[in-house]
Amino acid sequence: MIKLPPIHIGKLSLLLAILVWLALLFVNLVRLVGILNQMDPGIAIEFTWILQTLFFITIYGFYKHSITKSTQSDFLNLIWRGASTGIFAVAIYIIIELFYGSLGESKLAKDPFLETFFYHVHFGLVTIFLVSTSLLWQHLILYQKTKRVVKQWQAYEIAMLLAMFLVFFDRGANEYPFFFGLVLLGILAIILSTNLKWIPYLTFKEKWKSLLFLSVIIASVGYLIWRTFVREDQWVYPINLTGSLFLISLFWFVLIYAVLSFLVTLFNLPTSSVFEQKLTEAINFQRLSQSIQPEENEEQVLDILMDSCMSAAYADAAWLAMTSEEFPDGIFQERFIDRKTREEISDLIQQRKPAQEWAAEKRLDNLSPLTLRLDHPKFESVLLVPLVINKSIIGKIVLCKEVKDGFNKEMLNIISTFGRQACIAVENHRLLNQAILNERYQEELKIAQRVQKSLLPTRLDHNQFFDICAYSNAADEVGGDYYDTYKLDEDRYVLIIGDVSGKGTSAAFHMSQMKGIFQSLIQLNLSPADFMIKANAALGKCLEKNHFITASIFIINTAKQTICHSRAGHVPTLFHQVKENKADYLEIDGLGLGILRNMHYEKHVVEKTFTYQSGDVLVLFTDGIVEAKNEKSHQFGYERIKTLLEVYHKQNPPEIQSKIIDSLHAFVGGNGLIDDDYSIMVVKFAEQNKES
Amino acid sequence: MLKIENQEENGHNILLLKGEVDASNSVILDEAITQLVTNGSKSILVDGAGLEYISSAGLGVFMSYLEDFQEKEIDMKIYSLSDRVFEVFKILGLDQLIRIYPDKKTALLA
Repeated sequence: MIKLPPIHIGKLSLLLAILVWLALLFVNLVRLVGILNQMDPGIAIEFTWILQTLFFITIYGFYKHSITKSTQSDFLNLIWRGASTGIFAVAIYIIIELFYGSLGESKLAKDPFLETFFYHVHFGLVTIFLVSTSLLWQHLILYQKTKRVVKQWQAYEIAMLLAMFLVFFDRGANEYPFFFGLVLLGILAIILSTNLKWIPYLTFKEKWKSLLFLSVIIASVGYLIWRTFVREDQWVYPINLTGSLFLISLFWFVLIYAVLSFLVTLFNLPTSSVFEQKLTEAINFQRLSQSIQPEENEEQVLDILMDSCMSAAYADAAWLAMTSEEFPDGIFQERFIDRKTREEISDLIQQRKPAQEWAAEKRLDNLSPLTLRLDHPKFESVLLVPLVINKSIIGKIVLCKEVKDGFNKEMLNIISTFGRQACIAVENHRLLNQAILNERYQEELKIAQRVQKSLLPTRLDHNQFFDICAYSNAADEVGGDYYDTYKLDEDRYVLIIGDVSGKGTSAAFHMSQMKGIFQSLIQLNLSPADFMIKANAALGKCLEKNHFITASIFIINTAKQTICHSRAGHVPTLFHQVKENKADYLEIDGLGLGILRNMHYEKHVVEKTFTYQSGDVLVLFTDGIVEAKNEKSHQFGYERIKTLLEVYHKQNPPEIQSKIIDSLHAFVGGNGLIDDDYSIMVVKFAEQNKES
Repeated sequence: MLKIENQEENGHNILLLKGEVDASNSVILDEAITQLVTNGSKSILVDGAGLEYISSAGLGVFMSYLEDFQEKEIDMKIYSLSDRVFEVFKILGLDQLIRIYPDKKTALLA
């Protein structure tokens, strides 16, 4: 079974090229037989020309394909390919020459058939070499593609294609069209040959290699020209294959480009180190400016900075001195210098006045690298590079050279740019880390806020004999205000409101302790005063030394219409009585929780029971409302709340509550912030008779 | 804003408070009192004439020294508080624990 290989353009065109070449050979041998026998073989000359053109095109196709495929724009590889093809072609030529030499004067040496065969071999080799090399040149020319160069190359290719077919029109007469075409193609080739932008990118070593390869190519071209146009002119062939405009123009193009490349490379040799240096600087700059990733550290940036500065200044040694809070003595990174020498040089630098002034410079924006001459046996000049981050010096790099005045202006420029860039990278890195950290704190606070909100009851316990509503707002994400309710039995309900001293996170923690204490103690069915005594004892063990909690507790008995109340340092509760038609603060003594952490507290707590009537209103709140200040620094105060309640006591609890809060906001002003936590709870007693 | 002036008069250490004591600056008051306690002062007088406002954090400072004062037998008195500031002490019940006087004269005599 023969499996058909997949169609491969490269292989196919190679196969075609060989077939065409064989056909060409055959046709011309037949023609030779005809000439020798003075017979007309009946093959038109156009037939040869068609085969010749086909051969050009198939070779072009093959190389176009194979070069594009292996297009690793490594210039040396490309030139080497050209050079190796040249060596190959020349080697075959020489082998044929030797073969002829060995034949001597024998009859075979004069055999026209053999000569014609070798002539075709020469033709094939020349075509292969020229077409492949010119395609390699195309790659070099189009290395930096601009529209103009691409257009020029396309024009040249079209002109070459036309040149292939010229022979059909002038029938090999080499008349004006031939010369005109030759001049045109020659000029185009010269214009194209000025595109040599790849040369500067070669390193010094690569330049030498490319010089070698180019000279091989030039030699090959020279040899082939000599063979084709000087020596073989002596021979008479049935048909001239190598004299076509296409081949002659290619010869010119390949030669002129090789020669120009050679010369330009040669003249570029002395300056190539400068170009290499600039290229390294550009790469270093790019490495520095790529902002460091959060998981990487600053040392890597400073490492790159050290390397970059050293290579930019051709420094012999360097060190990096960092000042940091963690290491008051400084951190050092030494390169090609030992500790003893470093300290010697440091001392020498500190003795110099410019260095002292430099170190004391306050305007950090003006701080640029400083060069110094030194009296040191090894290093005679140093360069100080400051590292300024966030308007403070975090350290410096010291570059040392063994020669005097070793740092020129260009070096200073590039190094100060390096330094600034590295500092920006480090600064960005720090900011990024900080931002990430802040982000995390924000997340944590949001969680805290959510948890704390859930500590306040969403449903307030009550029965049909009183209505209740409450509201709390924290000045920060979390706050220290607390309110809660508890149902003791069908008729008895407990209300509590509390305020932890201070605000923010610490207050929030204590508030959660308060909730725990309330919820556990209240189940013991304690009287308000007992509750306060027990709560004080418990909180005395939990609270920080300078923290306390104020609270007011109410036990409402809806069956007896009584309220039993105790106050622990909390702002007094407002009570509006329908009977009196006025509101009053409940005057009762009581010490805040956690202030006296011993048994003496009992002496400071009072309990009071009073009756209520339907329509009476209790307003519990925290000091955040009383102490809220407006622009003139006036407090909202007790009187305002009292007046508001006297005006609005007929409304239901949510309405009274929103009247007070709205009025509080109006008092503080549109943009004014209430900088303390505030809470409010409104209770209104309903008609007992109606319900029962 | 809080300004604390420290005076010494006949063996009494007088702290003159000016401005407001809140959560952000209660530390300053705390430090001032700690210094007096560690220096071995036996009588601390707090002049509250210039005190415009005191928050719960400020009260917390006075409160936190109550036991210390008792242990070390330090005599602390506050005087010349404005009505509004005195009200804050009173509501919390601190007026029962700290001796507060209307003016310097009565404070010294007591």
